[in-house]
Amino acid sequence: MTDVVGTAGIDPNPVALVDLSIARRGLPSWLTTTDHKRIAILTMASSLVFLLTFGLMALTMRAQLAQPEQHLVSNQAYDELFTLHGSGMIYLVLTPLAIGMGLYLVPLQIGAPMVAAPKACLWSYWTYIFGGLIILLSAASTGGPDAGWYAYTPLSDSQNSPGYGMDLWILGVMLAVGAMMVMSGAVLWTALRMRAPGMSLLRMPVFTWSEVATCLMSVASFPSLLGAMGLLAVGRVDPSLFSHNTWNVAYQFLFWFYGHPVVYVMFFPFVGAVAEVIATFSGRKYFGYTFTVYSLLAFAAGSMAVFGHHMFTTHQSVNDYFSLSSIMLSVPAGVEYFGLIGTLVGGRIRYRTPMLFALAFIPQFLVGGLTGIMVATPVIDNQVHGTYFIVAHFHYTLFAGSVFGAFAGLYFWFPKATGVLLSERLGRINFWLMVIGTNMAFLPMFFSGFEGMPRRVVTYSDASGFGTLNLVSSIGAGILALGVGVFVYNALRSLILARSAGADPWGAGQTLEWTTSSPPPRFNFDGDHPIPPIRSYAPLLELARGPAPRRPGAAEEAAVGATAWPNEP
Amino acid sequence: MPFRSTFSRVFTLEVGIAAAVFVLVLGAVGFAFLRSRLRRRRGEEPSNKSEHTVVESAYVVLLLAVAGFLVWTSLTANAQENSASGRPSVTVRVIGFQWCWRFDYPASHFSVTGTCEGGASGENLPTLVLPTGRSVAIEVTSADVVHEFSVPYLRYRTEAMPDHTNTFRVTLTRTGRWLGRCSEFCGVLHADMDFYVKAVSPADYRRWLESHHQPVLS
Repeated sequence: MTDVVGTAGIDPNPVALVDLSIARRGLPSWLTTTDHKRIAILTMASSLVFLLTFGLMALTMRAQLAQPEQHLVSNQAYDELFTLHGSGMIYLVLTPLAIGMGLYLVPLQIGAPMVAAPKACLWSYWTYIFGGLIILLSAASTGGPDAGWYAYTPLSDSQNSPGYGMDLWILGVMLAVGAMMVMSGAVLWTALRMRAPGMSLLRMPVFTWSEVATCLMSVASFPSLLGAMGLLAVGRVDPSLFSHNTWNVAYQFLFWFYGHPVVYVMFFPFVGAVAEVIATFSGRKYFGYTFTVYSLLAFAAGSMAVFGHHMFTTHQSVNDYFSLSSIMLSVPAGVEYFGLIGTLVGGRIRYRTPMLFALAFIPQFLVGGLTGIMVATPVIDNQVHGTYFIVAHFHYTLFAGSVFGAFAGLYFWFPKATGVLLSERLGRINFWLMVIGTNMAFLPMFFSGFEGMPRRVVTYSDASGFGTLNLVSSIGAGILALGVGVFVYNALRSLILARSAGADPWGAGQTLEWTTSSPPPRFNFDGDHPIPPIRSYAPLLELARGPAPRRPGAAEEAAVGATAWPNEP
Repeated sequence: MPFRSTFSRVFTLEVGIAAAVFVLVLGAVGFAFLRSRLRRRRGEEPSNKSEHTVVESAYVVLLLAVAGFLVWTSLTANAQENSASGRPSVTVRVIGFQWCWRFDYPASHFSVTGTCEGGASGENLPTLVLPTGRSVAIEVTSADVVHEFSVPYLRYRTEAMPDHTNTFRVTLTRTGRWLGRCSEFCGVLHADMDFYVKAVSPADYRRWLESHHQPVLS
């Protein structure tokens, strides 16, 4: 059995490990790369550029809403702004960031030399970029997309939204989402079929498991969006289609069959990142690993059955059933929280920048989750549907939760991916600006929404009394933007200063990516950076603590857990 | 009018539970900080436990119980809101269109509308006049795209969808006038689609109907 583990670090089949990239150096080598790390860096960097783009649109909207009865932008421009902000953040920022992070880390964490289907991943990246550019182009064409990110029919049909903008938007959305579906298929395949010897399923790190659950959801739900967009395209050719209630409701169901799982696609990988960060900076193994893994899978399965809660007030959904299925998701969510907090409780905590973001994630996402139970209750949704309460709720989940988790992950793995250290001081400034900005921007929205301020209104009357709440939100959004700006500055500055990070800058890495160099070699592990023996989901921790106490039968167990390379002869 | 009481009962309950959970989580995280400090001071190693099956299983059972209770609350409240039966004494039809509202009184053969321009600060918003103490059926539909008939005071809203009618029943208990809004994005003047709901005594309601009754139409 020792032999199985011992050979893991040595390339078992050198013939298979040939760099398929067309170009060898310079920019062309990046743009045509088949290295999963480079494709992932391109994907994540692009998603961050899109984050800044669509974030600027949010700032414009917050400026417009800062005072009652303002007219900084026209009604039409405002409608296009929120349509692009919503669709951009979902289709082009958070989904690609979530899956791109998996593309970078999953092969490293499971000791694989490459990703499954590297050329398909490169295709995905470029298709995503073209999709994104077409979405941006749609705004520049006549009749930009102005029907909201879920583009309900018949408002989005060719009679109510004439012009090419909406058509281009449909094309762009299909390309971007189709691309991410393919990329997540590759990540899933990698995790399931390319694990190093010794890396059994229940030894995969929590982050890898979160990516498995994520990719299962995207592979299962993204086709439904392609169906919805196809239906919308047909309806734009023949608008009489959407004079029938049946097709309007069909569109909503098809849309939300994608639209709900995707919010967990944009969330799970960042919970996984938070879990890794918390375990690392608590100096211990993740607590509640098995329960967390099963809860992630149960959550992913359950996520496919909650979409109807977006349609409570259409009264054409099954409100009781979808209320039940949605509220029950609090069980796996609660189990995941138990793991996070349990890990902290038994730990010796170090408060580094990634850890600060991970710690803020805990209460902030909780606000989103708890209000999620409220909006999953039809009698409450009957008061808050379509209001700023909902806007507050999903910004707490997706920004205060997911984006904070993403920043925890970015600060944590940036040195691994680039080989250089970020400034800890700037990281702290970034963190505090973002915490203050986020809560100032999104907390007041619960109150204005509760009082009935509808979503997607270009302005509101002075008499409504929403003025102060909106002003606080707008100031918060400015502080938040400043925080993001500090991150960009920190990242660029670090790349120029280039302080070497070493293999494990945190000095406490638990998973395989921390054994190899920063950045890792072309095939992740080589003779200088062999894969250590894998005996648990935190193999490096065990290595640091010395060999685990021998139990009778332990050897056999390890051998059963081992899987072979997929490309063995 | 069951919406207000049902809503406040369920909302208060859920806010209470949410607040308790939030405080518990903050407490647990605070406890972890203190314990970690103590560990550091005493030079103790962090725990190496990866699982505590008994505690975790018990916790799952507790979560299931709480979630089950919340589901039960949600479903019974939903049934209560939709429990109105018997014939309504008044039926009105609400039609949303780009970008205002029309209120039809089919039994009296007339409609009222207004101008939504300028939203709540407008002078001539359409007003839905209803009698207090009577069971009113409100049928909501749309003439074009999806709108949403929402009245924050009522604690109720329903989508106004083309080619489909959603009906709900309400009995207003006191006179007054409340602002309503369109709460589903419906195009460039979405923000203007405000209206009023006005509840008057049955006698005033009858007088109001008579003042609008135009024999030409009947």
